[in-house]
Amino acid sequence: MVDVAILVSVGRHPASGQARRAPSDARALELAFGLPPGRRDALHAGDPTNPALRDYLGMGLERLTVLAMAEGRDPTDALAARLRGLSPGIILTGNQAEGGEDSGMLPYVVAQALGLAIVPDVVAIALDAEGRTAEVVQALARGQRRALRVELPFVATVHPAAPAARPSAFGPARRGRIEVVPVDAPPDAFLTACAARPWRDRPKRLSVGAAGGGTGGALERLRAATEAKAGQGRVLVEPSPDEAARAIWDYLQEQGMQPR
Amino acid sequence: MTARRRDPRAERTARIVQTEPRRRLVLDPDAIAASSGGRPRRDPRARRADATLQTAPRLRLDWTGKGTGAAVSMSAPGRGQRAAPAAPPLRVIENPACLIFAALDRPDGALSAHDRQLLAAARLLADAVDGAVVAVAPDGADDWGALGADRVIPLPAAWAAEYAPERRAAALVAAIARWSPLHVLFPESPEGGDLARRVAAACGERLFAGVESLSASRVARRAGGGATELSCAPSRFLSIAADAVAPLGAVRHEARRLDPPETSPDAPKLREARRLPVDPDGVGLGEADFILSAGNGVTDWVVFADLGRALGATRAGSRVVCDAGHLPRDRQVGASGTVVSARCYLAFGIAGAPQHLQGVGGVERVVAVNTDLHAAMIKRADLAIIADAQAVMPALLRLAGEGGHG
Repeated sequence: MVDVAILVSVGRHPASGQARRAPSDARALELAFGLPPGRRDALHAGDPTNPALRDYLGMGLERLTVLAMAEGRDPTDALAARLRGLSPGIILTGNQAEGGEDSGMLPYVVAQALGLAIVPDVVAIALDAEGRTAEVVQALARGQRRALRVELPFVATVHPAAPAARPSAFGPARRGRIEVVPVDAPPDAFLTACAARPWRDRPKRLSVGAAGGGTGGALERLRAATEAKAGQGRVLVEPSPDEAARAIWDYLQEQGMQPR
Repeated sequence: MTARRRDPRAERTARIVQTEPRRRLVLDPDAIAASSGGRPRRDPRARRADATLQTAPRLRLDWTGKGTGAAVSMSAPGRGQRAAPAAPPLRVIENPACLIFAALDRPDGALSAHDRQLLAAARLLADAVDGAVVAVAPDGADDWGALGADRVIPLPAAWAAEYAPERRAAALVAAIARWSPLHVLFPESPEGGDLARRVAAACGERLFAGVESLSASRVARRAGGGATELSCAPSRFLSIAADAVAPLGAVRHEARRLDPPETSPDAPKLREARRLPVDPDGVGLGEADFILSAGNGVTDWVVFADLGRALGATRAGSRVVCDAGHLPRDRQVGASGTVVSARCYLAFGIAGAPQHLQGVGGVERVVAVNTDLHAAMIKRADLAIIADAQAVMPALLRLAGEGGHG
């Protein structure tokens, strides 16, 4: 028995720009469904009439609470106040929104406001028998994983490598209730001070022949773009299989790919 | 190399000191040396000697004129080795107007390329306001001065290897409270981004995350699901995306060490962190670290699978192998498959079609086993073995099974 709060946001399809459920928030909800049964509160701060919110209800949620506020308001205080009232054991959310400021700061600000521990990039959560601590698995670069232990309550942000979210079903999406709570949120001064314009891809910075990249010039850049990289070129011609295996093994050890 | 062309008429006029009652000339040559004008005169032989980089085994010339100065060509007339570039002068900033913190990652105890870019970004911001760059990082044997740091706040060296985000954040918050830097820069990497958000939340300030373009007056990042660009004047907390800033060239700074601030040793809330063993075949090819790859020269797929398991390598193959159905399509390396960026690529029986070589373009080390000495893969390889892959695989499997003590 553990109470879980899930913070969900509205995403944006990268190609069409359509509003959709945010993929990492949907994964957070999927992770919450996998935890032992308890109260599950899904929270959203923003426009309650957005049809994309129904996608979360279609995953099997009965109720979604929306803290109704206008565009460009700062939702952190309202969310922290609401969560303080709910006092859940685990707060789950995606590690980065898509479609807003996308700074990934919100879970950290909420954790700071509530004085909770925060675990980033979670892909799995296992609770112990008493429900006091949780064993959490984090995703690292290059497909690596790290396990750690954390006491409840805590905030976890879910990594895109977490198990895929179940699809949204039409019936439950229709039946689910959206509970609207109007809140008074201050305008986001930091965001309004920023200038916004459509994103344009910049040319990729070349590392060859650049200012810090040695002596090179145009010739070196051309060479890097057209020629295949040549290796150090140690060649063993017709060794016996055992000699060859020994050479490969020693080289792998030298490179740190195999234990010595 | 150019010499001044002599202009005898001008020299003669310069030597005239008296015209009445009759013309008189100075005969001292030093008096006229400075005044001889005219066009610069080319000396093609000296220029060629300067451009000569090597004469054996074949002549190589560099006409760009970089790296060879007039002084070098005078003392040693251009033959043989090019002079080593002079060490940059030491730059000391005694009384900086402000401090710029660069909180470096140092993953696994070594400075990453992203860390170098971060120092370059901090240098850019510091030079605009006459400030000093302070590197805040787990201590190590790095030459901080050559990396562009004016000051260094060393954190315990052990923090580079272990997972201690809370202690790192607490140390940074204490350092920020003590020195109140103008900007604090972080790398937008998994660890660095986490630290940035922890510190920004603890300081109660906003983070301008994942800066894609940086100048002293303006920073820009991608937001709105990648559709919009937000830009503003540099805020206090910035995290810099990878490859957004070019690393510094040759510089030399002071790298004065500051005392790290005292932090109260709170019990960390995240405990017992440990790496989990992962199934190498479950890792996507694009992010695999060590790849065992098979081509047309491999026929025994059981031994190949055993070898992958014994070495802990992710299995992959060339297009031929995936077309034949020996490996699934998502295990194909090459232009029509996955472009991999592994640290080590062990290729058995792959000749190296251009499309396959494109796929291994980002690999650091290649080991190739092939029967053809003239295969393209052998040229690309760091260790090439001209032998039958089918014979080498069982031998390597045996050796791996014995842990290298065969």
